[in-house]
Amino acid sequence: MKGINISKFSKPIILAVFMLVLTVLRPSSFLTVGNLSNVLWSVSVYGIMVCGTIFVFLIGGIDLSIGSLCGLCAVTVVKIIRYFEYSNTGVLLGVLAALSVGILAGLVHGAIITRFHVPAFLITFATQIIFLGLSMILTNNKILSCLQPELFTAIGMKKIFSFPVPIYIMLLIALISWFILRKTVLGRYVYAVGGNSPASRLSGISDTGITVLAYVFSGFTTAIGGVVLASMTQQCMATTGSGYETEVITAAVIGGVSLLGGEGTVSGALFGAILIGLLNNGLNLLSVPSTEHGLVKGIVIIVAVGFDALQHQEKFKSWLNQFKMKKVQGAA
Amino acid sequence: MNENVILEAKGICKSFSGVPVLQQVDFSVKRGEVHALMGENGAGKSTLIKILTGVYTKDSGSVFWEGKEAVINSYKDCQKLGMACIYQELSVIPPLTVAQNVFLGREPRRMGLIDHKKMNEMTQELIERYDFPLDPVALVSNLGIGLRQLVEILKGLSCDSRLLIMDEPTASLSGKEAESLFAIIDTLRKKGVSIIYISHRLEEVYKLSDRLTVLRDGKNAAVLNHDEIEPRKVIQTMIGKVVDESAGSSKEMRKNNNEVVLEVQNLSDETGFFHNVSFKAHKGEILGLGGLIGAGRTELVRAIYGIDQYREGTILLNGQKLHPSPKRSIRAGFGFVPEDRRGQGFIPLLSVNRNTALTNYDRIKKHGMAVSDKAELSMCRDAIERIDIRPADPDKQVGLMSGGNQQKVVLGKWLMRDLKVLIVDEPTAGIDVGAKDEIYGILEDLAKSGVVVILVSSDLQELIRVSHRILVMRKGSVIREFDSGVITQSMVLEAASGLVEKEVS
Repeated sequence: MKGINISKFSKPIILAVFMLVLTVLRPSSFLTVGNLSNVLWSVSVYGIMVCGTIFVFLIGGIDLSIGSLCGLCAVTVVKIIRYFEYSNTGVLLGVLAALSVGILAGLVHGAIITRFHVPAFLITFATQIIFLGLSMILTNNKILSCLQPELFTAIGMKKIFSFPVPIYIMLLIALISWFILRKTVLGRYVYAVGGNSPASRLSGISDTGITVLAYVFSGFTTAIGGVVLASMTQQCMATTGSGYETEVITAAVIGGVSLLGGEGTVSGALFGAILIGLLNNGLNLLSVPSTEHGLVKGIVIIVAVGFDALQHQEKFKSWLNQFKMKKVQGAA
Repeated sequence: MNENVILEAKGICKSFSGVPVLQQVDFSVKRGEVHALMGENGAGKSTLIKILTGVYTKDSGSVFWEGKEAVINSYKDCQKLGMACIYQELSVIPPLTVAQNVFLGREPRRMGLIDHKKMNEMTQELIERYDFPLDPVALVSNLGIGLRQLVEILKGLSCDSRLLIMDEPTASLSGKEAESLFAIIDTLRKKGVSIIYISHRLEEVYKLSDRLTVLRDGKNAAVLNHDEIEPRKVIQTMIGKVVDESAGSSKEMRKNNNEVVLEVQNLSDETGFFHNVSFKAHKGEILGLGGLIGAGRTELVRAIYGIDQYREGTILLNGQKLHPSPKRSIRAGFGFVPEDRRGQGFIPLLSVNRNTALTNYDRIKKHGMAVSDKAELSMCRDAIERIDIRPADPDKQVGLMSGGNQQKVVLGKWLMRDLKVLIVDEPTAGIDVGAKDEIYGILEDLAKSGVVVILVSSDLQELIRVSHRILVMRKGSVIREFDSGVITQSMVLEAASGLVEKEVS
């Protein structure tokens, strides 16, 4: 219990300390609206994705396909816009199609995992390759650019009150996700299934339904991420979004989302995403050569994961104690 | 010291966190003898075995192997002496052959490689010596559970074991498989192998054992020779006479009220855990289900609640046919407290608040899917107050609470509903005495308010104290019904172990 309380406050504190250090070290360049908006903009795509994928983490699943699914959705929207000759109709249809692809992918994942009891790790690893392969076929392994219409480029580039649109999209998705998890029966069931699915089943909850929904929501936000990414870069290729699954999982884990299920919050996951953005930004501002970024980021992740594991160890201990008690009584 | 004694334990004492579990227990096994070990749940049988096999260390006392004092600190030590334990949950590896299983980890080698030919020959030799119906090259995955057990026994014998420990070996065997196991045991005995046979089934013990040691409350209650084994006497010895006649007291509830709430007709399942079970439960009645472990009680109540499927039969609630699934059963007014509390009863990571709300969201929704936090919290406070959950903190993580309070949380989520039938499976297993009484109180209050409580329990004292009526199950069938007031523990135990099967009601 104590551990949880500490970690609840630790996130804003870590963030504040991080920002303070950067402010002191780079007073003129760090704490500007421009820079901060850049940080948020840079994390918006996986910020959007993690708000959906957190459902999968919470039920104790994993979705490795989100990186290449993000790419497939980006390819889908760009292909359709180009097919409709850069018209606004093309944008609307493209976005709709991309979202459908994402939702369909989630449905397929959920159905296979619940129907055939295949480990999520395996099935989403396979679909990761399939989605990448589909993108390869669709793009013929070429870069497809898409510089217009304005309706499309606005999604990723337009600024409202000096912040780019993707930041608002990220906040909106986060808000929806937070509302579902915190305020609805569905959210309660997600935590219950992730915490103990047999107990949930005995309480009349359809763990199958909840699992499918989680993968669908993950696919949905991944599709939004794909559309935003395509618009931000105004182009796409098969490998667009590749490796984003690692960023998303990292953000979630740094944010205290347990990959074992049942534990984690949207604000935590978002915090994780923003921390990664700040880390990248700080390394750039401090002129750390990009060759060394990987090393530093890796160490930060280990520290964060270690912190998380330590908290679990506390719980693990108390759990173990209880088990010992049970064993004694069983033997007696 | 008797030359014939292979294993002797003297004055064994063991306590767990101050609670004595074994007190000055003596136990000896002779060469070529089948020695049964009996006692109620909690009498100390498994603790004694775990000390003999090096799983636990004894607090005091000594163990002698063939007359010499032996130090047993691990299962390896016990194997080295020549003992082998045949585990209840079999530890054979299905994709390997019989021979590969028997010599697992000790395969005969030739030039660094496994000598399969020799291994098969050695296995065949063992099989012939003890006359087992096995083939060295058969895949274990193709064998039934009974034959797998023989592989396990062969594995023990292949290490030159002269003492085998069998813990409830017939628990998962069919009658025919059990018969052939008995024949094997007889052969082993003739070849000079000693066997410690732990079982709840009196007739098996009667049939097989040369001697019988009965433990009660961690002490020696009796050591009987074969001709002294008299079933009723054994049961008396196991229970002790003091607590025996504690039959029910204030149980006039059912007589005033004969309205049938739940009726089960000819219920059978696919795999034969239970067959042709019929009973009626009346309003305000606590109906106990007694029987030995493996009698099919848990499977039966799980099917009634709708977690597992049943093949045929009918379940009627207030005269209406029910096709149960947990969701439909809950809507119809059922509640279910499972046997495996931690695994299936509650969600350890979540708070008391979220756990008690789990089955009640149909009533604490605001509009659409949104939850009213306020209603959720007030319901939880209600539950905490009503059954005295401690600590009285709605935000406390249930995984960190004591067993008794965890069980109250599991019960609490049902109490907030309009229950008609509450099924509780071993509700007080692993719970301290104080909390036990509180849970009995909760069940009795529920019954008074008209709820049917179905209580599955292996604790005879509990079963008799709480139930108004007891059905005893044996091998998947209800074989006996006892009415309130006149039940004693020995009556239930005699029925459950099949001594009075002719009186089927």
